[in-house]
Amino acid sequence: MTRAIEHSGANAAAANSSPLLVATHLGKTYAEPGERLTAVIGDISFSMAPGEIVSIVGPSGCGKTTLLNLLCGLIPLSRGTVSWRGHPLHGMPERVGYMLQKDLLLPWRTALRNVTLGLELKPGAELERNERAHSILDKVGLASFHDYYPSGLSGGMRQRVALARTLATDPEVLLLDEPFAALDFQTKLVLESDMAQLVCGEGRSLLMITHDVEEAVSLSDRVVVLSHRPSRVKAMHRIELGTERTDMIAARESSVFMDYVRTIWSELEVRAGDP
Amino acid sequence: MTGQSMGAAISQPNKNNTLLTFANAHRQRIVVVLCQIVLLIVLISAWEWATGNQALNAFLFGSPSAIWGHLVKMWNDGSLLRDSWVTGSETLLGFLLGNVIGTVLGLALWCSRFVSRVVQPFVVAIGSIPIVALAPIMIIWFGTGLASKVAMSTLSVVVVALVIAYKGALSVDDDQINLMRTLGANKWQIFRKLVVPASLGDIFAGLKLTTGFALIGAIVGEFMSSSEGLGHAIFKAGSLYIISKVFAALVATIALALLLSFIVGKVERWLMPWRKLD
Repeated sequence: MTRAIEHSGANAAAANSSPLLVATHLGKTYAEPGERLTAVIGDISFSMAPGEIVSIVGPSGCGKTTLLNLLCGLIPLSRGTVSWRGHPLHGMPERVGYMLQKDLLLPWRTALRNVTLGLELKPGAELERNERAHSILDKVGLASFHDYYPSGLSGGMRQRVALARTLATDPEVLLLDEPFAALDFQTKLVLESDMAQLVCGEGRSLLMITHDVEEAVSLSDRVVVLSHRPSRVKAMHRIELGTERTDMIAARESSVFMDYVRTIWSELEVRAGDP
Repeated sequence: MTGQSMGAAISQPNKNNTLLTFANAHRQRIVVVLCQIVLLIVLISAWEWATGNQALNAFLFGSPSAIWGHLVKMWNDGSLLRDSWVTGSETLLGFLLGNVIGTVLGLALWCSRFVSRVVQPFVVAIGSIPIVALAPIMIIWFGTGLASKVAMSTLSVVVVALVIAYKGALSVDDDQINLMRTLGANKWQIFRKLVVPASLGDIFAGLKLTTGFALIGAIVGEFMSSSEGLGHAIFKAGSLYIISKVFAALVATIALALLLSFIVGKVERWLMPWRKLD
């Protein structure tokens, strides 16, 4: 209950402060072999407030991953502008964490040393790094697995280590690309709850790409629906379920949950024969 | 609720299952080794029997008992250890030199796609030279002593090591590199913390492969011109038609090759402890 109140408080604060991320008229066109141009992203504009959880859903192949890579500066824009905290994107944005469906853990590092990876890239004492990694691994529920190599961990545990690695650098915003798609349903629900708790509790923002409409609705403040490629923003929904943000089961049991899901499904226009 | 289900999701990896497969694998390995020993005994007995019965000419084919006799004699007069030491040190030096140079260059090529494209045809050209053909030049350049054999051994190794290290560095997952970039890594940090350790598996595969190449290089060098070493012993015994002594020196050569790959395997396990779980 307290958490719900805190959360709505965070929402109110978010609405008042300046936007965290503004994307205006983004476009990405790839030159394919044979000099054919493929427009993956047509024209996308949206913004995100601090503390907000936003999901982006879209039909297969609509360039969701490309969009995420554009936002964090991994690939250059063809058109449009991205600005983080009012500053135009230049190189890698500061304090932005990035996590994919693949855990991308380094197999030669233990869970702990995978978490310290991001911290090692910046100056700082080893002792501090290890302390921080220890506390974050404890927070994601891996207290007794610090010294395990990734090969000794289950899929869900590996994704927890990946989450810990992302959180270790203390990002203000997490960009997630279908982070739970490879997990079974039960593990996914638990991880979603924990993720929501870690994000809301520490005032971080979350931008998540997913093809799972239920995941998007249960976890997000807002859902952005993209069209087929070249993709545009087709619809935007503010999700108000009236449940605790971190309770994925209650979210699914809420009376309006299925209404949101159905609306978004119909907007996705899943066509027979789509990959 | 969250706490409870969190505990359920984080279950211990199934230890029982792991132990069971481990026991199975262990038993299987014992059976394999037993079969190998039996096969070796059968082959040697058949050889001994055939040469004893005049089914095979012992003068042309040697015989296991004569080979053993030569080994004992070579051990007693000290030539076995001395020749093995000479060839062993040539091989080891060539192996180390070739792999260090090749691996460093191969990994360095990862840093510049442009440079690697420029040098590619040169690498292919050098790699296609039969190393034997270079032996006379090496002897002219480096003399008839240790240096020319080390040079031959190095040459046999270096291109293979370079290609394998480069391929290993190239096979690093792009998503992994992107992740390092989002964590704020510069190119040098990506190289040091990701590319080098990720290539270790390939590099060790290359090390195992090149133990044999290094030995071949050293022996070929000794064939051309030498006064000691196992290659020298093989060449001399061969020209005198002492076939069993040729085989005796070959046995020592094989032992040397096995020793070297054993050491490489040990170092691999020591440097890559995370692989123990596979």
